Formats: sequence, C-alpha cells, structure tokens
Amino acid sequence: MIDRNTARENGTRQTNCKMLKKKLQAVDFAIVETTLYLDVYPDCQKALEYHKRLLKERRMLAEALQQSCGPVTAWEEQQGGWEWVKGPWPWEPDAN
Amino acid sequence: MWIYDKKLQYPVKIKNPNPKLAQVIISQLGGPDGELAASMRYLHQRYAMPYDEIKGILTDVGTEELAHLEMVAAILHQLTRNLSEEEIKNSPFATYFVDHTTGLYPVPASGVPFDMKYVGVKGDVITDLHEDLAADAAIPQAQPLSKNRPKPL
Repeated sequence: MIDRNTARENGTRQTNCKMLKKKLQAVDFAIVETTLYLDVYPDCQKALEYHKRLLKERRMLAEALQQSCGPVTAWEEQQGGWEWVKGPWPWEPDAN
Repeated sequence: MWIYDKKLQYPVKIKNPNPKLAQVIISQLGGPDGELAASMRYLHQRYAMPYDEIKGILTDVGTEELAHLEMVAAILHQLTRNLSEEEIKNSPFATYFVDHTTGLYPVPASGVPFDMKYVGVKGDVITDLHEDLAADAAIPQAQPLSKNRPKPL
C-alpha cells in the first residue's frame, strides 16, 4: 500500500527541487555573463557590485539545494551515501 | 583546472525523439562552427595571449563553450533515444547510426569526423582574435534557416 503522505511529500520535494535548480541555472548564467564582462572591464564598480549580489543569492540557493536536493558539484558534503553518482544525469530528460 | 557542475547551463527536455532533426543539429556538436571547435579554439589560443583580459575571457568563454557542447549533446541524446529500427532506417540519421548507434560522436552533418583543421591557433593576438570573429559570425549562417533568425553582426 502506497503511503500517500510520503508520496505526496516526495512529489512536492521533487517539484521544489526542480524549481530551485532552475533558479540556480538562472543565477549561474548571470554570473557567467558578468564574469565575461569583468574579464574585459576589471575595474567596473557597478559590475563588481552586481557580481557580489549574485554570489550572495547563489550561496542561499546552493544551501537550500544541498539540504534537500542533493549535490551540484562533487566538492560538496554528501548526505546519505555518495549521492553524486546517482541519476538522473544532466542530459537525461528527468533532470530537466 | 575544471570543476563540473552537475546541471546543464539551460534545461533541455524533449518529449518526442526526432532523428531527422538530429542529423542537422549534430553539426553544432562536431562541425567547424560547433561547440567543440569553439571550446578548443578559445582554450588553446589563450596560452600565447600577452594580456590578462584576453587570457581571462578566452578561458571563461572556452569553458562556457564546453557547457554548450554538453547542452547540444543532451539535445541529441534526447532526440535519438527509444527509436525503433524502422524509424532509424528511414531517417537521414541511418548512416550515422551504423557506426555509432545512440552514442554521441562529434561529426558535422556531412559525417566526416571532427577535425582540428577547423580551428586556427597562430599565437598572434590579432590573427587569433580575427579567427574568433570569423568563427562566431559563421553561427547565423550555420543555424537552420528561419524567418526569426537574428541578423549577423
């Protein structure tokens, strides 16, 4: 017999994780673009502040992800075994 | 050195496999103007550059192109999974499939394996940056024809 509460919880957690991951993808994209800009204009104060703000937001998202959704890099603490290797991997539809 | 983030730069989720489309998109993987060529170009040009700004941007763009390579591969992977033998035989993807099945082998649409000849690295700032401009400007040309295609620079 399926424990409906657990299944529903898992479903909610999965949706939550997908949403957090999409937010992280958006922030990381902004960071990459800012990095490219700063590479060529390393003294631009506005860009430097923007970069700082983005990093702050990223830190919060990464923490939330790490707590409930598994690692994004192998350089993070793993919970409950070596999660890093477990699927789905990024090119698979389930990961997106 | 490189660290791998276990996520695509932008999500890829394709509902229906389509080998016909894969035959065209594979040029973005292994073609002269594709992501493998781009990443190899930028990452190898950076060593001879005399300016920090250029070393930085070639490193960071080269790295980003590897992430793009991964997205193109994800697209191709999702376009070619779960195909029946009939679907494969009757698609332009059939010849590729003979040697590679659903493996992802960098080739352009012509089927000739990826070649470093597509990449210019001369160790001269102006020359190499011009190579980059030429490669980047070729992208609007390589993309499938569409009315909404952005105009080249």
